[in-house]
Amino acid sequence: MIRVAWLILRKDLTVEVRSKEIVYTTLFFAVSCVLVFAFALVREGRGPEDGAAGILWIAVMFAGNLALGRTFERERQSETLRALLLAPASRPAVYVGKLLGILVLLFGAELLLIPLVALLFQARLLAHPFWLVAIMATGTVGFAAVGTLFAAMLVRARSRDVLLPVLLYPITVPVIIAGVRGTATLLQPELDGGIIRFWLALLVTFDVVFVTLALWTFEAVMTD
Amino acid sequence: MTKMLKRWCAVVLLMILSGAASGAAQQPTSQPAQPTQQNEFIPIDQLPPQEQLPAAPLLIGAYVFVLAVLFVYVFSVARRLTNVQRELDRLDTTIKQGRA
Amino acid sequence: MPKWFTPVAFICAAMFAFSPLVIANADYESTMGLVQKIFYYHMPSAWMFLIAAMVCGVASIRYLVTGDLRHDRTALAAGELLVVFGLLTLVTGPLWARKAWGTFWIWDARTTASLVSWMIGCAYLILRRYGGPGSEKLAAALALFGMANVPFIYISVNYWRTIHPATSVVPKLPFTMGFPLWFCVITFVLLFIVLMKLRVRLEEQQTRVDALYLAMDER
Repeated sequence: MIRVAWLILRKDLTVEVRSKEIVYTTLFFAVSCVLVFAFALVREGRGPEDGAAGILWIAVMFAGNLALGRTFERERQSETLRALLLAPASRPAVYVGKLLGILVLLFGAELLLIPLVALLFQARLLAHPFWLVAIMATGTVGFAAVGTLFAAMLVRARSRDVLLPVLLYPITVPVIIAGVRGTATLLQPELDGGIIRFWLALLVTFDVVFVTLALWTFEAVMTD
Repeated sequence: MTKMLKRWCAVVLLMILSGAASGAAQQPTSQPAQPTQQNEFIPIDQLPPQEQLPAAPLLIGAYVFVLAVLFVYVFSVARRLTNVQRELDRLDTTIKQGRA
Repeated sequence: MPKWFTPVAFICAAMFAFSPLVIANADYESTMGLVQKIFYYHMPSAWMFLIAAMVCGVASIRYLVTGDLRHDRTALAAGELLVVFGLLTLVTGPLWARKAWGTFWIWDARTTASLVSWMIGCAYLILRRYGGPGSEKLAAALALFGMANVPFIYISVNYWRTIHPATSVVPKLPFTMGFPLWFCVITFVLLFIVLMKLRVRLEEQQTRVDALYLAMDER
């Protein structure tokens, strides 16, 4: 199964490297998003207290939403999703492959967003890099796990563009709470290890539960 | 654009303009005092007299809302059920006539 | 309609009509006074909201596993009731809170979890209505995810807002207040059963109509 997932990931990356469409559009969107927040919230050269954490996560979620939609739109247009499902590959492997592709894209976006937000909102996000990476990684995995499933489910549905955020955001509320609160704790002058560990534990649990659920449901939902 | 659509657009524009005009006219008088921001929850036993709300409107409002929503929902389901039943009967007679 | 339907519906309607009398005769609560009486409709609504969520979740799982459309119909009916009772809870609650706590809304674990669950219920109905053909399975997956989410929301909001005092919404009840509460609970339970039956029946009839149309087209 890992081989299949890796193959799918490689396929997605190859297609993407050739056109770079999703990468450029997602990154540019994420940057514009942060800029809009900067114009809206920065007053007298300072952003709102602790605003940086929230803005970072909102930008990630919006960009992720867009990326998910675009990735599966591409699959839909070339009917490759059906081909993937018809291929003798186990369904969970297809899901994991798509998930890894989305994760690569989102991690890339975060690499760009974190310094940008830290700069524009004068937030010391990079003070504790290890914890930051842990929180961002687990949170992004949680968001992408649910998002990949829903985006794949919605490929053949009507109104799929607007339905994805309608379905995704309520379900990923714990991710945003834990992610933002965890990142905000990192911005405090004194690092409180207990709080960080709690949010991290919550995110890890969320990831485990929902990746498992998604693997099980993918099978049931993608069969016609 | 059809004539009907043009007329609707004109009506909507007129409404927006008149709303904006009346809003502008009211501007000087509509600046209420900002309530103080409440960040914390401080439980007390008795509210100070000037803040005590009359309870009756809230109570009556709540019950009326509950009954209204339930009534609307039951009504909607019953109406759809009658429609579907009528449709079924109509189809049944059509099929019977088709067979006869 | 099964034989028990009309008598149960009748009893439910009668109890509903009678409930204001029962509630009015209950004792006043010492600190909250008159407005506490919203509790007698708010609490049963909240419980029915929860029950509807569980029924929807379980029916969705059964539908995903077996593919039997009966479970799908049950899930849809329960989803609608989830939104209806959730709406009742989320409106009567703040109306009560305005007088009892001084503010319409607080971000604590229970209220936030209820709001998010209600929104997931609304998303479920939106998906079923506008998702086009084949949205039953997607909606079932959504319901399943929503159900799995509730503990996470609870824990995360609890930790997020621990600065707020934990106001217990259900104090220990003496009999004079216990009786109206249970009266209303039974009323709401009967209402829930009646509404579920009605709504499932509507779906069944609609399915039969669609099947008949299809059969006629094929001739």
